[in-house]
Amino acid sequence: MSKKVAYWPGCVSRGFTPELHGSMAKVAPLLDLELIELDRACCSGAGVIAEHNQELADTLNARTFAMAQQEIRNGADLMMNICSTCQGAHSESQERLDASAEYRAQVNETLKPDGLEYTAGISNKNFLWLLVEEIGLEALKSKVKRPLTDLKVGPFYGCYIVRPKSRIGIDDEHPRDTYLPLVIEALGGTVIDYAGSHKCCGFPIITMNTEASLAQAGRHLGDAKDADADCLVTPCPLCHLNLDLQQPLAAKAVGRKLDMPVLHLPQLVGLALGLSPKEIGLQRHVVKPTSVIDWTTSVVGSVG
Amino acid sequence: MPSHDVLIIGAGLAGQRAALAAAETGVTVAIMSKVHPVRSHSVAAAGGINAAVSVDDDWRSHAYDTVKGSDFLGDQDAIEVMCSEAPKEVMHLEHIGVTFHRNETGHLDLRAFGGASVKRTAYVADITGQAILHVLYEQLMKHHETVDRYEEWFTTSLILDAEGTCTGCVARHIRTGRMEVFTAKNVILASGGAGQVWKPTTNALICTADGIAQAYRVGVPLMDMEMIQYHPTTLVENGFLITEGARGEGAHLLNKDGERFMEKYAPNKMELASRDVVSRAEQTEINEGRGVGLNGEGIYLDITVVPKKRTLEALREIVNIGKDFAGVDITREPILIRPGQHYIMGGVKTDIDGATPVKGLYAAGEVACVSVHGGNRLGANSLLDTLIFGRRSGEHAAERSKHMAMPVNDDAILKRDEAMISEIINRPKTGRRISEIKDELGTIMNQKLAVYRDEAGMLEAQEVVKRLKEESRSAYIDDRGTVFNQDVLGAIELGYMLDAAECCVLAALERKESRGAQFRTDYPERNDEEWQKHINTTITADDEPAITYSPVTITQWQPEERKY
Amino acid sequence: MEPKKPPQDFTLRVRRYDPESGEAPYWDEHTIQLEPHRSVLEGLLQAKGRFDGSIGVRCSCKAAICGSCGVRVNGQPGLACHTHLGDALKTAKNGVIDVEPMGNMPVIKDLIVDMDAVHWKKIQRVTPWLLADDENMPEREHIVPKEAMVDVTQTMACIQCGACVSDCLSMEVDPLFIGPAALAKSYRFVGDPRDTQQAERLKDIAEDPHGMYSCTHCFKCIEACPKGVAPMSQIMRLRRRATGDHHIKDRNNGFNHEKAFVKNINKNGLLHENDLLADSFGGKLNPASGLFLAKSLPVITRALLRGKATLKVALLHPHKAPADVKRIFDTIENRDKRNEFNLYISGTDEDNAPNQPEEAPQNGAHAGQEATA
Repeated sequence: MSKKVAYWPGCVSRGFTPELHGSMAKVAPLLDLELIELDRACCSGAGVIAEHNQELADTLNARTFAMAQQEIRNGADLMMNICSTCQGAHSESQERLDASAEYRAQVNETLKPDGLEYTAGISNKNFLWLLVEEIGLEALKSKVKRPLTDLKVGPFYGCYIVRPKSRIGIDDEHPRDTYLPLVIEALGGTVIDYAGSHKCCGFPIITMNTEASLAQAGRHLGDAKDADADCLVTPCPLCHLNLDLQQPLAAKAVGRKLDMPVLHLPQLVGLALGLSPKEIGLQRHVVKPTSVIDWTTSVVGSVG
Repeated sequence: MPSHDVLIIGAGLAGQRAALAAAETGVTVAIMSKVHPVRSHSVAAAGGINAAVSVDDDWRSHAYDTVKGSDFLGDQDAIEVMCSEAPKEVMHLEHIGVTFHRNETGHLDLRAFGGASVKRTAYVADITGQAILHVLYEQLMKHHETVDRYEEWFTTSLILDAEGTCTGCVARHIRTGRMEVFTAKNVILASGGAGQVWKPTTNALICTADGIAQAYRVGVPLMDMEMIQYHPTTLVENGFLITEGARGEGAHLLNKDGERFMEKYAPNKMELASRDVVSRAEQTEINEGRGVGLNGEGIYLDITVVPKKRTLEALREIVNIGKDFAGVDITREPILIRPGQHYIMGGVKTDIDGATPVKGLYAAGEVACVSVHGGNRLGANSLLDTLIFGRRSGEHAAERSKHMAMPVNDDAILKRDEAMISEIINRPKTGRRISEIKDELGTIMNQKLAVYRDEAGMLEAQEVVKRLKEESRSAYIDDRGTVFNQDVLGAIELGYMLDAAECCVLAALERKESRGAQFRTDYPERNDEEWQKHINTTITADDEPAITYSPVTITQWQPEERKY
Repeated sequence: MEPKKPPQDFTLRVRRYDPESGEAPYWDEHTIQLEPHRSVLEGLLQAKGRFDGSIGVRCSCKAAICGSCGVRVNGQPGLACHTHLGDALKTAKNGVIDVEPMGNMPVIKDLIVDMDAVHWKKIQRVTPWLLADDENMPEREHIVPKEAMVDVTQTMACIQCGACVSDCLSMEVDPLFIGPAALAKSYRFVGDPRDTQQAERLKDIAEDPHGMYSCTHCFKCIEACPKGVAPMSQIMRLRRRATGDHHIKDRNNGFNHEKAFVKNINKNGLLHENDLLADSFGGKLNPASGLFLAKSLPVITRALLRGKATLKVALLHPHKAPADVKRIFDTIENRDKRNEFNLYISGTDEDNAPNQPEEAPQNGAHAGQEATA
């Protein structure tokens, strides 16, 4: 069943991790997913704008929601993002906006000059949730062309998409903090259970307590390595920055070799759905996804 | 061997207040507690603290309400002290940081409470005890250089010298098992009540009559021990407390016919009559078949009549308790409650400065009986009691310390207690388990020394307590270690509880009338002629309590018929 | 009211440690019988009472108010008395409920950890008492806004159980981090209008290299807290007050990072990482910025070589913020007073809606029951 989503790619997916945005664009048609990009929307604030001024963050996010709702009125099913941090920052704003008509009215007043208005109750899902809740694991499985047999994948969620449970909508019917292993398995891969899957990558304090930030990244990467993971997969580009881009520094911080490739979620899906490593931008990672490439060599050849 | 001018045992509100007051005078102070101070049971006091701070109020009105609430068994000199000093104490708390809720003008907000003729209860949502306790602990951290803290030290005995003056205590460091003699010019007992003698109870697991029994064992009389408060609103489910603040905010009590039955029992004050009156009314409804819930053993407390916003702001904690422990959203549906053991009005006999008949030994808070509560304590008077008499005993003990030399203790009691502990640890596993005895004690006390009592029932309880006391001497434990051996402490606590139970039953049998919390179906009337007096129980040579009497102090309010 | 379920068997697997034995920690299993809505603590107490009195666990009130029984149940920090057995079973592996001591603190015995060595030391670090104006103390109470006292009651509601400390992910790698409980305690004074040293308090914890800017936003403490204190939200409020109200320029780049981020979005609409990094260290020409960039240079060069970031993206700004974004910034940043909407104080519309049924009958009879006259 095809889906049409009002699509918020986030900033980092078009900045330091362009391969995320690119791979999502490549994977979408294979999943019968039509992406209506919200290209005028702005940064979710990643918690930092909220820290500076809550009303500002809520208003900027209400603006994004209002734009998505315009698309929903034009036929999109719901709003989708590909960034755990955006999801968390959005959910936090939405929690306040939906809680109070008075507060919402105040925020909408600021949006008014541009003809935008947010109506309570938007459905905004991360790609991970959409895979499980809208597309369905069975449907996903049926689309797999190249099962990730023998690929040992460690999940890494990103804090913003797993906590706090009530805000994120995690309950008995939606155990969203257990979705990554389900997706990895649906794609034919092997799930690696390790200590760091639901922990923090450390990115938010990279400029404020660099040592602790890198120690966090290094610790989780090391735990995954010790658990014999070939690679990690994450729905969060900010985690990707600390886990991949900063991995050489993280390795120094914890004093050990890490060499742990980190894939974006759409990349992992893309691989299983038959896309080539180059199409999904695996060559753009700082840590060469050697284990993944070894596995695909015989099928698609190595990447540049 | 640590020595201090003033040593306080127990670190709830009374203990911490005593420590701070004593330290302010410049003497050396130590405070000791078997739990970290913020775990003390004062933390559970929910509704608030009474004080005539409003311009429309007068402390005499507060005092009269308290005298009437006590069913004319309270000592009026002590009540006058407590009520007249209350406003100053509340302001002191505000000044050191308690976050009392405010009204629209930014002044202290006051809520209605049971047995009070006007709104005079200052509060912090429904975590007033917690807020005050934590603020006092903030002050202890601030004054860490003048108050030594012995946290997680368990007192095993008080020490008396040859003249019968208290000179310190023996305690066990729970973390290491090390036993130590603490020498002090003055000791203040502030170790709380005896709720665990009953099952269920609203009281925490730590409320095991420690101080009551320790004082009793060195010959201090226990007063009013028969006066046990059953709180009108405890969860049928598990005995947890639902604050009187709920009724203060306007909640109703309903029987199975949906009737606000308090109309029949207290037409003026309705749900806000004094606790003994409301609990009796509920128990009557239940006994006469108008209860609700499984077996009709409960009453509905309907909080849905309180505006939801107000409930969420002012009764937040019980919203959580309803949700987490009874599966009930109290903003949408009534919750099943019944009377449950909550407080002991009686305790270690003291004067208005907290001094017991034993020189050098003071007591304050629930462990003590001044007596300001007499036959029945008013809601939100307990926090006040702890603070006023905590402070007074702290000041008085400090003053006394200034005029004396540090006593010298030998290690006789220490050796005796070490032997006692080693005997418990090495018992063969042939007797009963401590937990079994504790359960049986709680159950019989809750059956026979509850809202309604009679001679036959209490005699039966007396027999059971006697037998359990015997069985406790051979009850075994599992833990043979020294680090955090909670098992051995449990065995010692059981002994404390049995002593308190024994005195409670004896005093209740003795009082052949109905007054305050003691209602005897075989003597249903109050009898001022014969029983307008305190009953004291004192230990005898054969380790059994004996009865004596002391007069009730009356200053300005003569006994009269009590109506709400 | 939903019908209560009858008692059933639950298996508790308790992490035991006996410091006197010289042995390593081990797991110990007990099967107890209780109703599913009873707590894990009640389960532990039954095991202790019936089978093994030597199980060490601190506990007192059983009602989530004394804060004694902080543990991890199936890896999640919280109060044993506040976790239903039935719920614990849902997250249990192989039908066995794991109970372990809290993390980030040394274990003394079984489920008992050394709170003094970590938690209380950190609390003591933040000057945890009110610093009122002692010279000018009012005779009666301080006159303060109603909302202000409700606001700090959120942090007063902390019962010092240590659940947030147990799983603080920053503390896991940086034991010196002041941590969620102590920082929430700090807000209790910073948010208290009676306190006279708010700027000093904020400067102190802003300048501490392990202070308020070492929180990584991981939400663990919000999730762990059984009392709704939301320590991380309090930390964010501390930061907001430090930068927005007191303009405290700290040496940890907290101030710069926030300003840089906000400026970045105002200018670009989207986050521009290179500018952000540089600005966070005081601008591209700041020596600190150069140092950080130099350290990061191999990484960035590598990123450029991998085609991850293009020179165009790195140096130019392909995105410009739409005009309405700038307008929103101007409107809100120029308000006289910063708006903060705290659900803890305000409640939701649903919370504030009139009670159901709208008008309670005079005698308080509730729906479905006949009222008697």
